[in-house]
Amino acid sequence: MLACLCTVLWHLPAVPALNRTGDPGPGLSIQKTYDLTRYLEHQLRSLAGTYLNYLGPPFNEPDFNPPRLGAETLPRATVDLEVWRSLNDKLRLTQNYEAYSHLLCYLRGLNRQAATAELRRSLAHFCTSLQGLLGSIAGVMAALGYPLPQPLPGTEPTWTPGPAHSDFLQKMDDFWLLKELQTWLWRSAKDFNRLKKKMQPPAAAVTLHLGAHGF
Amino acid sequence: MTSLHAVPHSPSASSLARLLACSFACSALLPPLLPARLPGRSLGARPSSLTARPGPSPTRPPGPLWGLLLPPGSFRLPGPQPRRPDARRRAGGPTERRRHRRGACVGTQMAAPVPWACCAVLAAAAAVVYAQRHSPQEAPHVQYERLGSDVTLPCGTANWDAAVTWRVNGTDLAPDLLNGSQLVLRGLELGHSGLYACFHRDSWHLRHQVLLHVGLPPREPVLSCRSNTYPKGFYCSWHLPTPTYIPNTFNVTVLHGSKIMVCEKDPALKNRCHIRYMHLFSTIKYKVSISVSNALGHNATAITFDEFTIVKPDPPENVVARPVPSNPRRLEVTWQTPSTWPDPESFPLKFFLRYRPLILDQWQHVELSDGTAHTITDAYAGKEYIIQVAAKDNEIGTWSDWSVAAHATPWTEEPRHLTTEAQAAETTTSTTSSLAPPPTTKICDPGELGSGGGPSAPFLVSVPITLALAAAAATASSLLIW
Repeated sequence: MLACLCTVLWHLPAVPALNRTGDPGPGLSIQKTYDLTRYLEHQLRSLAGTYLNYLGPPFNEPDFNPPRLGAETLPRATVDLEVWRSLNDKLRLTQNYEAYSHLLCYLRGLNRQAATAELRRSLAHFCTSLQGLLGSIAGVMAALGYPLPQPLPGTEPTWTPGPAHSDFLQKMDDFWLLKELQTWLWRSAKDFNRLKKKMQPPAAAVTLHLGAHGF
Repeated sequence: MTSLHAVPHSPSASSLARLLACSFACSALLPPLLPARLPGRSLGARPSSLTARPGPSPTRPPGPLWGLLLPPGSFRLPGPQPRRPDARRRAGGPTERRRHRRGACVGTQMAAPVPWACCAVLAAAAAVVYAQRHSPQEAPHVQYERLGSDVTLPCGTANWDAAVTWRVNGTDLAPDLLNGSQLVLRGLELGHSGLYACFHRDSWHLRHQVLLHVGLPPREPVLSCRSNTYPKGFYCSWHLPTPTYIPNTFNVTVLHGSKIMVCEKDPALKNRCHIRYMHLFSTIKYKVSISVSNALGHNATAITFDEFTIVKPDPPENVVARPVPSNPRRLEVTWQTPSTWPDPESFPLKFFLRYRPLILDQWQHVELSDGTAHTITDAYAGKEYIIQVAAKDNEIGTWSDWSVAAHATPWTEEPRHLTTEAQAAETTTSTTSSLAPPPTTKICDPGELGSGGGPSAPFLVSVPITLALAAAAATASSLLIW
């Protein structure tokens, strides 16, 4: 599996948080982050379609259902229902942040190998948007007073030329990367929905209901 | 009752007793036997009960009175006790018993010919009953055949050239359908289903029975899965596109990657089962396979899908539309999230509202990201509207079906009644008279005023005038309103 140098990423999002003045509150940042996940998910749909067509069959077939072999280092969005429900805010945000950091790294690796210029352009654009999402998440964490996850010295991902991968296995890794990215974006939307509801002042919700029923 | 083989002391008294006993026995016993001997009904099979319950022995005991009249010790007829379905041939052969009986009856025949004839009748009847009851009484053979095919039914183990008659559900079949002792049915139709029985032509001895079911092998089943309770779980339902007319069994398996998941049968619906999600946000697809089989064939199908693609909530509930007072172009619509959606807080729904006046075909649409209420502000005044709402998870899945429609008409100003107009016009004739040309008011003859019954006279004369004025006033006011 591809491993890459990503130390730059870990420090980048901290800067916008420090520059924040007159913070309107985490609610607005959460809404913005939520909107970003929706935008990215929409963007990914067209990107994934193009990329899978580039990979060719069977990757671009709708019924393609391979076993999850390899791609162990990809951050997995799947989680037990009760565990997900009971995640505290800090853990929820941290998991999102770490996932996208890794995914962005892998995507950049993908971009390096992409054959056509068109594909490289789309991938680069997506990477930029994904970086924006990371920054947004970092902003929310800072606003709520949570520290950004710092990579432990041993686990810092570094570029090493991996074992000679067959062409097919490489494509399988790409397939799983895109799949995991899409699933994470859906999960993040739900995560930020949950955070948004928590941040909402309860009084506002009550008045909304009263107005709706016209009493 | 005295037994038939008892020999009293005095001949005259004994013969009389015997005569009475035999006559009584004959008159009592013949009715139960008679229905069995009527043409058109088979002696052995009782088709009406059989077609409902294939399996148990077809015959019934000839009548309860057998046991009353004949002591069990002497005539061991298989009558009295209720027949068990798997009764086999009795140990003693039929002939032995008949001999025994005839012998007993012969012993009495010296006394009078009538009791002897009666006994003979009884003996013959008993023999027939015995024979029919001791023929091979295995349960009818159940056979499934394909619609449109040809089938040849052999008469059990009978030889090809045996003389047999076939009946279906008690009705004789024409001999031209026979091929020797075998029944040939060509081009099977659904109406061919039934209980087929073959009998020895002469003795009416039942040889064999076949319960034939005509049907079809199953075609590929239609399977679909849906999650209306995300994130709790999903359900799958199936059906056959065309009926098979015979019983089918279904078997459903659910795989998540390599893990087998349990699909719990729905308590109410027999073609539905439910699966609970163990993990959310899975990248691995679910594969649901179903196999269906019946006596004539087998078929199967499978579908694979991602967790998110099958999410489709139930439609919103309790959609109510109300007019808004003093607003002739508004309608207030409220609804509730479907009760089956387990967690609207963490998995909020967005809504889609559509409305149109009944007289038009084109819908107006509004998408609402949250909230369960909306006010329509561009309704046509006075027109009845039909309104429907649909729901969807904010991010994943598809829109629900449209809800039950709500009807409402926007608020309209209440029209003033015609009677109040007439009264108003009457009381203000003095003012309205200015509108009418002066000569008309002077139709009222002062002479009549004096002669007539007081105020009624001028009223009578002025009524047509006031009515005309009232009508004019009413039309004027209605023009103003509308």
